[in-house]
Amino acid sequence: MVSKTEEAEVNRLESQADNGGGGEWEYLSLVRKLKLRRPDKVLKHGLTILNDPKKRSSLGHDEWTLYEQVAIAAMDCHCLDVAQDCIKVLQKKFPESKRVGRLEAMLLEAKGSWAEAEKAYLSLLEDNPLDQVILKRRVALTKAQGDISGAIQRLSEYLEVFMADHEAWRELAEIYVSLQMYKQAAFCYEELILSQPMIPLYHLAYADVLYTLGGLENLQTAKKYYASTIDLTGGKNNRALFGVCLCTFAVAQLTKGRYKEDKESPELQSLAAAALEKDYKLRAPSKLSLLGSTLRSLKLSS
Amino acid sequence: MGGESRYEIGQNAYIKLVLHALKHKTSAVNGVLLGRLSGSDASPVVEVTDSIPLFHSQIGVLAPLEIALIMIEEYYGAQGLSIVGYFHANERFDDAELGNIAKNIGDHIYKNLPQAALLLLDNKKLEALSKQKEMAPVMQLFTKDASKSWKLVGSDGSSRLLLKEPSANIVLMDYISSGKWMDIIDFDDHLDDISKDWLNSELFK
Repeated sequence: MVSKTEEAEVNRLESQADNGGGGEWEYLSLVRKLKLRRPDKVLKHGLTILNDPKKRSSLGHDEWTLYEQVAIAAMDCHCLDVAQDCIKVLQKKFPESKRVGRLEAMLLEAKGSWAEAEKAYLSLLEDNPLDQVILKRRVALTKAQGDISGAIQRLSEYLEVFMADHEAWRELAEIYVSLQMYKQAAFCYEELILSQPMIPLYHLAYADVLYTLGGLENLQTAKKYYASTIDLTGGKNNRALFGVCLCTFAVAQLTKGRYKEDKESPELQSLAAAALEKDYKLRAPSKLSLLGSTLRSLKLSS
Repeated sequence: MGGESRYEIGQNAYIKLVLHALKHKTSAVNGVLLGRLSGSDASPVVEVTDSIPLFHSQIGVLAPLEIALIMIEEYYGAQGLSIVGYFHANERFDDAELGNIAKNIGDHIYKNLPQAALLLLDNKKLEALSKQKEMAPVMQLFTKDASKSWKLVGSDGSSRLLLKEPSANIVLMDYISSGKWMDIIDFDDHLDDISKDWLNSELFK
């Protein structure tokens, strides 16, 4: 997850490099640090450096890291020849390297040679059975072949060992959501919130899943988590603001006045609506009237 | 009752959907189709005059979808148009299956319009566009038949999904090579930053 300032910085460096203003190495280093996936830009700017002997040698030892980064970007862009060339350079410099072996296996994956890639990963795992990158690549391999339940199983086994790997929990949650297995997705988000309670993204995702599951209890809990998202983001998260409005409406529909709403809620919904109106007025005035009618359609009470 | 419906998709509606899929190559994307029912009873036509790219993440959750649909129905209702279908592009290149999320959303649209169309991006056809001219849209059409299940239309060779403008694919290829997909905004982008216009009103200017 990347902050707005980090994203702005990487975008600035990207357009600088795009417009011939240099700074490719700074851009590529930041992309690597933030673990962003921008393969076409990484490929383009990485090759600018690698194809220029002077620029390449000025990198010193970082040259090899760049070859690796470009190889992976090339595979992501399906430029397999470029990837192969980069890997060859690395093989020559670091024969017998496990890290290069991993790249070779990834290239097999990129080519669609599933069985060979699996074999390569398994043999790499023999010497290092706890290599997290390889274990996760095996999950990706299973998913790429369309075996989603197999991917879920491998990922769940991985998480039994590496239960602190937040990205893996997120991936598992997203797979569950794509299969409409919302209860299981909710469990993943619960794990994430337990381990990192101050990250609003998890509260929001959890609320979204609970809202989707529906039913009075889930809707009430969803509302609480939309509210905590609003809290954690200083009221700036429009998804959560909409979420509060949706939950209040849905609960009202379900209960039809048969039971007393908790006291804070009518204020919560009107505060959320007011916050949305304020934001739209300022930043999306052409959509303000659409927002107004949307909020009105959600304020129908029994 | 009437004849089988034909589906005619306008150039801008078509291009927006494909560009959206290309902007988010590593995830599934979806969108809604706007338009109207026309033609005659014997030869009904569903005209898809516009499309709204919706999401590129967490496609299975309901809250953002509900907000989007309320706003979209409100906006287009004022123009006499309604939601006539749904578009989906799968995450993986090889996956040509119409998933359950698409079917569920399709069912919802079907309640108001029995001729509702589900369009699934055909990745192989899209890839082939760069190699050979193609007049047909790079999508597969599914409709609900009498058995109330979503069936692929046209596997018998009949084409009921047509591009309104025959040169739409040429224009699409042009946009692809100029990287136009970078400019597409979807509802996800709008929810993250409301200053982004999900109507894409400036896109084709």
